[in-house]
Amino acid sequence: MSITFAATPRTQPQDLGSRARSRRGRALRRNLTGWGFAAPATALVIGLSIFPAVWALFISRTKWNGISPATGVGWANYGNLVQDPDAAAAAQHTLLLTVLFVPGSILLGMLIAVALNQKIRLIGFYRTCIFVPYVASAAATGILASFVFNPQFGAANETLRRLGLPAQGFLENPGQALLVICLIALWGEVGFCAVVYLAALQDIPQELVEAATVDGASRLRVFLHITLPELRPVTVFTAIWQTITAMQLFDLIWTTTRGGPMNSTQTIVYYIYELAFQTQRLGYGAALAYLLFAVTMLLTLGVLWYSRRTGSEAL
Amino acid sequence: MVTLLMRLLAAGSAVCLLGACSMNGTGGDNGKDAAAGYDPGAAVTITWWTGQTTEAETVAEKLAAEYHSAHPNVTIKTSPGATTTDDLLTKLSAGFAGGSYPDISYAFGSWAGELGASGRTQDLTAFVGDPSFAWQEMPAAARATATIDGKVIGVPALVDNLAVIYNKELFDAMGVQYPSDEWTWEDFRSAAQKLTDSSTNTYGTAYSVSGSEDTTWHLWPLLWQNGGQILDGKKPGFNSEAGVKALETLRVMAVDDKSMYLDQTDEKYVPLFASGHIGMIINGPWSLLDLKKARFGYGVAGLPGVNGDHQTVSGPDLWVLFNHDNANQAGAARDFIKWLTSAATDAKWNLTVGNLPLRTSEKDTPEFQRYVHEYPGGQKFFDNLVNAKQARPTVAGYETMSRNVGDAIAEVLQGAKQPRQALDEAAKKSASVLDN
Repeated sequence: MSITFAATPRTQPQDLGSRARSRRGRALRRNLTGWGFAAPATALVIGLSIFPAVWALFISRTKWNGISPATGVGWANYGNLVQDPDAAAAAQHTLLLTVLFVPGSILLGMLIAVALNQKIRLIGFYRTCIFVPYVASAAATGILASFVFNPQFGAANETLRRLGLPAQGFLENPGQALLVICLIALWGEVGFCAVVYLAALQDIPQELVEAATVDGASRLRVFLHITLPELRPVTVFTAIWQTITAMQLFDLIWTTTRGGPMNSTQTIVYYIYELAFQTQRLGYGAALAYLLFAVTMLLTLGVLWYSRRTGSEAL
Repeated sequence: MVTLLMRLLAAGSAVCLLGACSMNGTGGDNGKDAAAGYDPGAAVTITWWTGQTTEAETVAEKLAAEYHSAHPNVTIKTSPGATTTDDLLTKLSAGFAGGSYPDISYAFGSWAGELGASGRTQDLTAFVGDPSFAWQEMPAAARATATIDGKVIGVPALVDNLAVIYNKELFDAMGVQYPSDEWTWEDFRSAAQKLTDSSTNTYGTAYSVSGSEDTTWHLWPLLWQNGGQILDGKKPGFNSEAGVKALETLRVMAVDDKSMYLDQTDEKYVPLFASGHIGMIINGPWSLLDLKKARFGYGVAGLPGVNGDHQTVSGPDLWVLFNHDNANQAGAARDFIKWLTSAATDAKWNLTVGNLPLRTSEKDTPEFQRYVHEYPGGQKFFDNLVNAKQARPTVAGYETMSRNVGDAIAEVLQGAKQPRQALDEAAKKSASVLDN
């Protein structure tokens, strides 16, 4: 599975005997046609993404509550961020969430993909089932999960009780809330990884597997030495994708814990929201947003650089 | 993140371009009375953002039409302004940036400081000071909220206060005496303890630990009753001995007695009370709307007190009037709000949609009789208005401070910190946002 939409090479009719001027005219026309197709999308991207992003940089250098005029404070917002214990805690929570979520979703996704790659009856149905949680909106998932994990009246504690295990606080226990959120996020996102891996598995040339089997390799060795290396480019992609997902997880937190209990599930993105839209500190919030942007960018570039060097390009 | 950045920008797109001209462009507060030279007979159109949804919005539109038929030269463009009242502030800030903001807007009391600092509000001090306005009939806390740095920027739109709402059936079943207006917090604590029954998931009382303003403002009456203050000049004052004592009162119920249901969301404790799982909650008159469907009888009592001081807190909302450098618009907006908040009209507005009346003089109206009949306990909340003696500060930075105090309360009630340490930390974090 390739992520780049590489332009299909086209054979062009040869330009025999045409004059230079008409060639230039045609080139211009072709250029204009190209831009005509690209312009609406370009305008959208510039107007709705790049322009606001640049403005946010200006906002991040001010103290502004959205109502009174903004006052420039230079880089002070960034300086304050370094000393903000809440920002540090939010970074820790985000890191923990990412460290748990990314490998978890990759391993689970691979496992499910291998299971779904078998030739059994009703396989289409199973594949659909795995993908459904990914299609459901995170808001709906969150609301559903907060019913299941309600400490007093939820199904999760009811199950524990039947098994004779002690009841848990789940989303209301500061020590467990982030883990439960990670679990819910995995449930929602694993379908995506599974589908990507499934496609990659079906792309593995059958001859390789057959050749290995003829040579006497066991199924485990085939998996370790043929399947896994073939899946490497896709793994780079899913790692980047899931890292971005984990770092930007917001709707699930909003619908389940709103950053609580005791801010134990307050991630960077949630903290930005709280700064900018709950306490009206737009400048400070924008500074933190920029910091997150820089970190995400560096991480992505790092992974890309590493994968280029080891020759498993995916992007 | 890109979406977040976009929202940041949508909130006030052209800060650097337009922010700079806000003080000297149109609508600035230049010391001149906004309605000087107002001609009451001139044809004028004013814009009114009600901040209301569905039912209340229908009533508002009816009232606007009624005013228009009595004053045909005044056309009132009425709309909710935003999809939720919370979003109004964002809409207003975008409106300031774009230069198209309403003449009158609904506003939460906690926004008053920031709106006052925008330089776009009218100065109504002299207008409401006129005897015909009867400003003194409105609760003192509400008047204080509308006054920023000595200038009145709006008129109270809604008044409320906190009181004890209790489930009579649970009290009867456990053989506990109903709360009275003379209760101390010790009485409250021991009743909560007796009502708690873990086998049936029943709690004596409840408290929100979401860390929002709902968490914070429930502490203020306790702080005041103990003789404390929220601010000490421009510095946080809540981490005084009084503050520590106030928070300790709550801590013993939550941590030692476990008689307090801790709601992580703000949204669960009223429904849980309505379903009969909580003996008493401390909340405002809006809860009565939710309790209409409750199957048990409930009662309302004033807050427990410290040494006979039973003061409560009020969270008034405002009609804020904005200046467009147009005397006729400003004057017409003032006259309309005067009419809307007059005893006769307010009875048709607040009492009809289930709120407390704005003015003491409304207690003799038939609408008030209907209100207390429809909402048992409404009379008690009305009587309790006199106990709302102090107002929450209307300073820029209050919202950040409130968030820090809310976090501190949440940590203490969940046993993570002691009151002294938590409040000191909250004060330290808030100092920098308050002093500038």
